Amino acid sequence: MRPSPAGVAYHLAGLAVAALFLLPFFWAIVASLRQPGLPPARTVEWWPHPAHWDNYAELFRVVPMGRYLLNSLIVVAVAVPLTLLTAALAGFALSQLGRVWRRRLVTTSVVLLLIPGMAVWTFRFHILEALGLIDSLAALIVPALAGGSPLFVLLFYWACWRVPFELYESARLDGAEAWTVWWRIAWPLVRPTTAAVAVLAFALYWGDFSTPVLYIFRPEIYTLPIGLQLLRQMDASNLPLLMAGSMLMIAPVVVLFLVIQRLFLRDLTLERVE
Amino acid sequence: MRLRRIAFPLSYRRQLALFLTPYLVGTLVLVVLPALATVAVSFTDYSAFTGYSTSHLPTWVGLDNFRRLTETPLVRLSLNNTLIFAGLAVPLRLAGALVLALLLGGRRPGTGLYRAAVYLPTIVPEAAYTLVWLWILNPVYGPLNLVLGALGLPQPDWMAEAATARLAIVLMALVQIGEGFVVVLAARQNVPAALYEAAEVDGANRWQSFWRITLPLIIPWLLLLLCRDLLVSVQNTFTPSFIMNYGGPYYATTFLPLLIYEISFDFADWGLASAVLVVVYAWILLLIWGVRNLVEGLRNRVEADEA
Repeated sequence: MRPSPAGVAYHLAGLAVAALFLLPFFWAIVASLRQPGLPPARTVEWWPHPAHWDNYAELFRVVPMGRYLLNSLIVVAVAVPLTLLTAALAGFALSQLGRVWRRRLVTTSVVLLLIPGMAVWTFRFHILEALGLIDSLAALIVPALAGGSPLFVLLFYWACWRVPFELYESARLDGAEAWTVWWRIAWPLVRPTTAAVAVLAFALYWGDFSTPVLYIFRPEIYTLPIGLQLLRQMDASNLPLLMAGSMLMIAPVVVLFLVIQRLFLRDLTLERVE
Repeated sequence: MRLRRIAFPLSYRRQLALFLTPYLVGTLVLVVLPALATVAVSFTDYSAFTGYSTSHLPTWVGLDNFRRLTETPLVRLSLNNTLIFAGLAVPLRLAGALVLALLLGGRRPGTGLYRAAVYLPTIVPEAAYTLVWLWILNPVYGPLNLVLGALGLPQPDWMAEAATARLAIVLMALVQIGEGFVVVLAARQNVPAALYEAAEVDGANRWQSFWRITLPLIIPWLLLLLCRDLLVSVQNTFTPSFIMNYGGPYYATTFLPLLIYEISFDFADWGLASAVLVVVYAWILLLIWGVRNLVEGLRNRVEADEA
């Protein structure tokens, strides 16, 4: 089969777009593999000779990056499952409510999406302090109790709402409790949404820069984004090391995103499944 | 049946209420109350920290903070910066999301990978991605200036000049348009295919079917995106402007979030910070009202056309 001219043009355009968006990552990887101390190349370099993989090990020697990595891992290991639980339950409950309350709460959630983070920074300090959570990893985890973000709750709500309602009805006629309806019917059917929210939540907690800047002061509980800034303060000119640190933070998100991107970018229709 | 009722005494509705409790209570405590507190404190003199204790209590000063708001040069400068940023970034971000969603809206094989590439910069950690951009924008060795130089174009010293430093933050915002991209893709896929088929039968070309079918049907989504982006894109400047140059050079990249951060946590002037936030809320309410009216107006017009 010969490719059509329209098809070729489409793929050329697609590849050009993809290259444009991926080029910064490629340049960062190349820079992360250069030998530290050498002056950077004066022309665009496509691959360093020899590739200096030791930069990634050096990261853990110059700053306690292992400690920061562990702290970040603790935060996501607790916060992501908790977010999935609270957001999935709230989203399911929204889909089951009567028309009036459902509309009220969905509208409220959409409006909540418009409250910028800066609006809550200062007084969240007082609340976290009253709860004794300032200067602890719990300050980074606590939003998970509230579903992480209204967006996650809304995503679960839309997914549960698209499940044919007869399925819920027949389970309830059999005498099932809300827990059972959620666990037996909604949870298995909204799995693509769960995967998408899991990755979004991972990215949210893993990359969180403002919360530790505002509420974390002890170096032992710094997370990766702060560790990266420390690395920069120590030697801003050691570019290979800085880029290696950046890639250490970026790579897990990229891998997770690529695993679920099919679900995420394909399943886009907003209609109810009939 | 009976035994189960005893084991689970809550009615179905009460169980649903229980499921909603963590979300509602958590959001109330972590988002709604802190946001409302700023409204009250904007009428007071309040510096929260005296040696990291919070004993200093707010005292009523009426509209004093709002008067200081107009007199503080840093606040005016920052509002100005924010307007420049939003005026440049928001239309370009929306246009980019729209063009890419139209380009990659088809179902050809390989499309998924192109879409993934577009979304990727939006989801990666900003603290790391900003450092990557600092390298790209390095005036002497950065790949961007090397490319510009090879093309015979000027090679600006990006982070040293006010205008180019702002432009650098805009540039970074322009590649992080995954959310808008996904929303426009979804909106477009919900346009009934039958409409396009009918237009094709009538001999419309692709340009005409875009103007006559796609655009009118997705414009409510574009307006919602516009509304959200005016807030989100501004909020998202915090990490890049903090890391790239801490608001500099000469406060040129001190946008609203960094301003709030500085007033609250560097100057400990929570009254003034709250007054700035109240102005932001007024702006948000105005936006919601405006977009609501526009969407309603469009809907009425579509209905009038159909009648």
